[in-house]
Amino acid sequence: MVMAAAPWIASPSLIQFGISTLLLATLAQSWNIIGGYAGYASFGNSVFYGLGSYGTAIAMVQWHLPFGVGLALGAVLAVAFAVVLGLPVLRLRGHYFAICTLALAEVMIAIVSNVDIAGRNTGLVLPLLRGDALFYEMAFGLLVLTTLAVLWIARSRFGYGLMSIRENEEAAAVLGVDTTLYKVLAFALSGFFAALAGGIHAYWITFLDPVSAFDIGLNVKMIIMAVFGGPGSILGPVVGAFLLSGISEVLSTEISNLAGLFFGVVIVIAVVFMPRGLADLGRRFKQFGWHYFAENVRVHRL
Amino acid sequence: MSLLWQVVVNGILLGGLYALMALGLALVWGVLNIVNLAHGALIMLGAYVCYYLFTGLSIDPFVALPLTMLALFAFGYLLQRYLLNLVIRAPMFNTLLITFGIDVVLTYLAQIAFSADFRTINPTYAGDNFALFGAAVPVVRLLAFAVALALTIILWLFLARTRLGRAIRATAQNLIAARLYGVEPRRVYALTFGLGAALAGAAGGLYGVVSQVNPYIGTSLTAKSFAIAIIGGLESPLGVIAGGLFLGIVESLTALYIGPTYADVASFGILVLVLIVRPTGLLGRTT
Repeated sequence: MVMAAAPWIASPSLIQFGISTLLLATLAQSWNIIGGYAGYASFGNSVFYGLGSYGTAIAMVQWHLPFGVGLALGAVLAVAFAVVLGLPVLRLRGHYFAICTLALAEVMIAIVSNVDIAGRNTGLVLPLLRGDALFYEMAFGLLVLTTLAVLWIARSRFGYGLMSIRENEEAAAVLGVDTTLYKVLAFALSGFFAALAGGIHAYWITFLDPVSAFDIGLNVKMIIMAVFGGPGSILGPVVGAFLLSGISEVLSTEISNLAGLFFGVVIVIAVVFMPRGLADLGRRFKQFGWHYFAENVRVHRL
Repeated sequence: MSLLWQVVVNGILLGGLYALMALGLALVWGVLNIVNLAHGALIMLGAYVCYYLFTGLSIDPFVALPLTMLALFAFGYLLQRYLLNLVIRAPMFNTLLITFGIDVVLTYLAQIAFSADFRTINPTYAGDNFALFGAAVPVVRLLAFAVALALTIILWLFLARTRLGRAIRATAQNLIAARLYGVEPRRVYALTFGLGAALAGAAGGLYGVVSQVNPYIGTSLTAKSFAIAIIGGLESPLGVIAGGLFLGIVESLTALYIGPTYADVASFGILVLVLIVRPTGLLGRTT
């Protein structure tokens, strides 16, 4: 409730920070569906985000359609991409899946830079709409929607199917889980939410070009936020996104060129000492106390 | 026709360097099962070490190469011994993430230490070239190609013939069995990663001679190394050479006939296709 009312009480710069953080949290949460629950480390979610951005931008700039239609177009593009490419790509496991999705993102940058309707590599400029409060509410609504979807996944037959795929895909198939269908659905659902976030971001920023729309760094950011918070948990990715964005925002105003360095160091330390994220730390810290960190290192070291 | 020939020559020369870039990545991936996303950053570091040896101490870049390799070997050894060994048994995703974190840290440190300016290692003979059946062959590119090829063959012989090389291959095949035969995995892992870093360093030094270096070149070089390792398969250095040459030629031809902006579509498109059709690599073993 407090967060929904933020535009009426917070300062303009805080609202802008809020919009970008809400969108990042949405992305982390959307990644959570395919990466956290199904266990497929997708580096291609920035493609969904980019398709959402470009779908919205092309509809509004080239065809003069309203924003809502653009959002829908972007979402349709992303879901179509997830189904068509998900079918062959989701057959790959582990590193191979991760790298293949990474390469897909690179291919999309290069393709979009050569397409006329997408403005080639100069990009597109969207009509300006002043009203950060509106964008804030849209981003907030989207995050709530995505989190509700994750909540449903965590409790549903579909979600249990995804988790069984994550733990042991062969066993899941033997037990009657239609693994291909489940994985493609998870990929498409993840893409749907990421595309909506991309569309809102494009309209808010009013400018986009291929390199920033399909930025792999953004994909890595959502993964880090999800993993830091706890992949495969309902609120972990959201908490991770808010914590990391908050710290990074404070750091970048204090010491601007060290904010990026901070991200790198956090990843390294988090992977070594709390590989299952804040959610797991919260659950098991009471049991282990400070030994929790040493225990993680002991289990995973050579 | 002569244009095509020139492009093929360029592609082959570029491909040799590509192969050397991918070699370290493929070695570490094959033996340690770590996909090192910081590989490109190690290449970048190697380029800077070589650059400062050349500009600071005016050592010829090809002479500075062994020193660069030594420095990167030490760095890689320590990195694996005291950091990566801590997470080696964690799920694959965590090792991917930690090497990405290292990549970010190295890139930012490089930006602070070396600034974001483009640098080139420019020895006096940098502009020299000679004609080969009508195609111009730049001397430095040919030298870089020869060094890359020589290092690949040395690595192949090392893995095939020496005791340590056998220990590394045994570890790659079966860690537990290798341990039972007296291989000390902590050291072997650190040595292997050190070797991978040294090869990255050599590739970086050569890259600095034939192209331009700044702190941000790492990511795209990692991706290219990756594509080559996938195309060539992880089993043998010779497959990596073939993968490097293939990618070098395809990129050059795409740039000529379709357009320079499509060169990346070609290389990454091929990567995606190869992965979908044959996940063990075009030249890799069928499982």
